[in-house]
Amino acid sequence: MKDIATANLDNMTPAQFEEYLPELFEAGGGKISENPRFRNFFKANPNCAALVSDLETIAEQAKSLFEPTHEPSDSVWSNIASKLQDGAGKEDRDS
Amino acid sequence: MQTKPNPGFFKRNPPIAGESEAIEQAKSGDAEAFSKLYALHKRRVYTLCLRMLGNVSEAEDMTQEAFLHLFRKIGSFRGESAFSTWLHRLTVNLVLMHLRKKGLQLVSLEETINPSEEDAPRRDFGSRDTMLAGSVDRVALERAVASLPPGYRMVFVLHDVEGFEHNEIAAMLECSTGNSKSQLHKARLKLRELLRNPQNLPPLKGLSEPVGQKGVGR
Repeated sequence: MKDIATANLDNMTPAQFEEYLPELFEAGGGKISENPRFRNFFKANPNCAALVSDLETIAEQAKSLFEPTHEPSDSVWSNIASKLQDGAGKEDRDS
Repeated sequence: MQTKPNPGFFKRNPPIAGESEAIEQAKSGDAEAFSKLYALHKRRVYTLCLRMLGNVSEAEDMTQEAFLHLFRKIGSFRGESAFSTWLHRLTVNLVLMHLRKKGLQLVSLEETINPSEEDAPRRDFGSRDTMLAGSVDRVALERAVASLPPGYRMVFVLHDVEGFEHNEIAAMLECSTGNSKSQLHKARLKLRELLRNPQNLPPLKGLSEPVGQKGVGR
């Protein structure tokens, strides 16, 4: 992975910029789209700005998927309860 | 004796009322308490299994396995992380073990380095008029995630949805952190591509619409 801290943004191409993105997203420190260091680069490369903004949106929206949306059928608990009654896992618990 | 929990672990998993009592009672073999823990966590565990496996039947089987495993191992929960974090890690490990038994390579080197043309995200910086306009419909995102190639989907779900760090994902998937980061980036690129044309997203294969979301955003 490349380190953008030492990179020259003045003559960087969009393809080169994308190579830094995985690390940039991991670096934290706020949104890349709002980082003043990239203001001029994004102005000169609006497609890169759009890409970064979209990836930030996707990462942000992904958090909303953390809340559960599906429910197992009742048979799942019936099976678990039945296995627990049969002593499933008792060996491990006793050991 | 319980170890004092680190508050940092509870950012996304705040303690649930009555949970800690149920945990302690379940440790003593109280069936009622275990039933309560199931009721509190079944949806989250099942949804995680479903996202990782993409199959209702397998997801239900793994949910069952996860809770039976929980019953066996709950005595080893020391409260060093949020209970749900611990339970999710246990679930993820069981699902990964299940997939390995099925012979699936979880983070395929082939997929990472040389993805098929159809699956790989295109190197396309797009144009401003086709960007996502700062918002993504949750149902569309769910569908897009479900249609990701398995390697991309696994890392995306573990990192962006479940909140695991790359070093944790690398350990779970037995790959490098660099590979995990690379997979995540490609997953997000692929999602962007899919979400630009949400009308083309396939329906969730074999899945009903999410609970409370019969085709309507929540």
